[in-house]
Amino acid sequence: MKQTSERIRRIIEDSSLHLCLECGKCSASCPRLVAGRQYSPRLVAQKLMFHPEDAAYINNAVWECLTCGICEERCPSGVQFCRFILEMREALAEEQGLLGYRAHDGALHSWMRIMTAPELSQNRLEWLTPDLKVAQRGEVAFFTGCSPYFDVFFNNIQVDTLSLARDSIRLLNRLGREPVLLGNERCCGHDLLWTGDRENFETLCRLNYQEFRDHGVKEVITSCPECYLVLSQYLPKAVPESRLKVTLLIDLLAAEAQAGRITFKPLERRATYQDPCRLGRMAGRYEEPRGLMAKVPGLELKEMEFSRQGALCCGNSSFVNCDAFSKRIQVERLRQAQATGADLLVTACPKCLIHTTCAMRDPVKGGSLAMEVRGLVNILADQME
Amino acid sequence: MSPVNLLGIACNWSPYCCYNAAGQAGLELPPSFRLMRVMCIGRINQALILRAFEHGADGVIVLECEDADCRYGPGPEVGHNNVARVRKLLRFLGIGQERLVEKTFLADQKEELVRVLWDFHRRIEALGPNPAKARQERVAS
Ligand code: SF4
Ligand code: SF4
Repeated sequence: MKQTSERIRRIIEDSSLHLCLECGKCSASCPRLVAGRQYSPRLVAQKLMFHPEDAAYINNAVWECLTCGICEERCPSGVQFCRFILEMREALAEEQGLLGYRAHDGALHSWMRIMTAPELSQNRLEWLTPDLKVAQRGEVAFFTGCSPYFDVFFNNIQVDTLSLARDSIRLLNRLGREPVLLGNERCCGHDLLWTGDRENFETLCRLNYQEFRDHGVKEVITSCPECYLVLSQYLPKAVPESRLKVTLLIDLLAAEAQAGRITFKPLERRATYQDPCRLGRMAGRYEEPRGLMAKVPGLELKEMEFSRQGALCCGNSSFVNCDAFSKRIQVERLRQAQATGADLLVTACPKCLIHTTCAMRDPVKGGSLAMEVRGLVNILADQME
Repeated sequence: MSPVNLLGIACNWSPYCCYNAAGQAGLELPPSFRLMRVMCIGRINQALILRAFEHGADGVIVLECEDADCRYGPGPEVGHNNVARVRKLLRFLGIGQERLVEKTFLADQKEELVRVLWDFHRRIEALGPNPAKARQERVAS
């Protein structure tokens, strides 16, 4: 590694790697190791601190991590492993280029980088139908995210990501709100951030901020955990003048449901719930989605063997490394879902939806992993009264 | 008129035959045009086409065999499917779906190939540069 030891030293300090006790809890819980890969967060941390000359090992390990955050949850010592991975990816990308293996040959990162062009004039709202009430101007916007793009890109696996945007707006309309939808909103940049592309990530933040500002938007509502995480935690660092209020749709719904302002029709189903890493471990929302499901009469929630803080990853994050081990993690997760006896898998992240759907369609598994998978907002919008 | 960058992605079989024959016959090709030869259009995915636009291509033309002529089986169908999807993505992005086209050729259609390429060149020249002009990755990988 040619990086100045100063930068590495700072990364070690920022992520508290030196607090590591070598207990190995992180490695024992890492889904990549559980899936059979010889992979150890503990060892990466130790190598970086004491054997930085083993650059090949460190570099590979940095790109392989799913950034799922289970290790951080387990660590008794407060090591911030995800932050370590994020900062290391930035450092490596600056020095060597964006070398991480990108799933789908990096197509998604391509369109995200294309969106950094300031002159772009997108047609991203073609899916809006007349029944969805949206405003041209106003202080509250709904952030659609990449759903329209996913919808096209993944149409071969029949995953309806656009329904998440539609149903979010239906729910907002039901609450008497007509959000602004921005025709030139950019990708929030989550996947560029987590693949080390800081420069383009910050450009997206600035362009989104300008778009909000130019339209008088003061609050952004989103149903995507990744958009929420980026807009609320990372955008303000990239655009210090931002005073944007960022609201997670399920928080809003949970409050409204609690106050009795929205109620739901019965749904006699047995469901299980996949905690998305960005919603659970990174944003601490475990009870809100469960509380909302509990408001739907008849909907029985059966927890999987690993849930809440210990939930198993959907197999991939930021489209950086989908491999045989990702697949094993997905198969294991779907088996856990089936073992609950549920016939409906609910999640709250478009990417969990994409990845679980993709894994279920594996022809080799002959449909044995198949079960209905839906977004939480889909269920709530269908059942709202 | 600004110079444009065009990328042709050609299947090794019929379209490349035409391209080769056009070269041997001394037919003039548009100067804006660079050709990438692949063994089969079935090898091309959405990412490779999108990447051309990310790196500043103003237009991409996918040159493929007729469905029934594919040496491998489903190549051109894979191509139609990918082109249709990327055209939609390009429309959403505001780059414009007209910047991506596909054409099928028989092995003996060199004049047709040259005509199609000139025609595409003129249409893209009229449209001007891709509004998402090159934001290069630091290192192409
Ligand atoms: S973040 Fe997840 S994949 Fe990465 S080392 Fe920790 S447990 Fe393993
Ligand atoms: S769990 Fe924390 S303290 Fe234990 S080995 Fe991993 S990083 Fe070190």
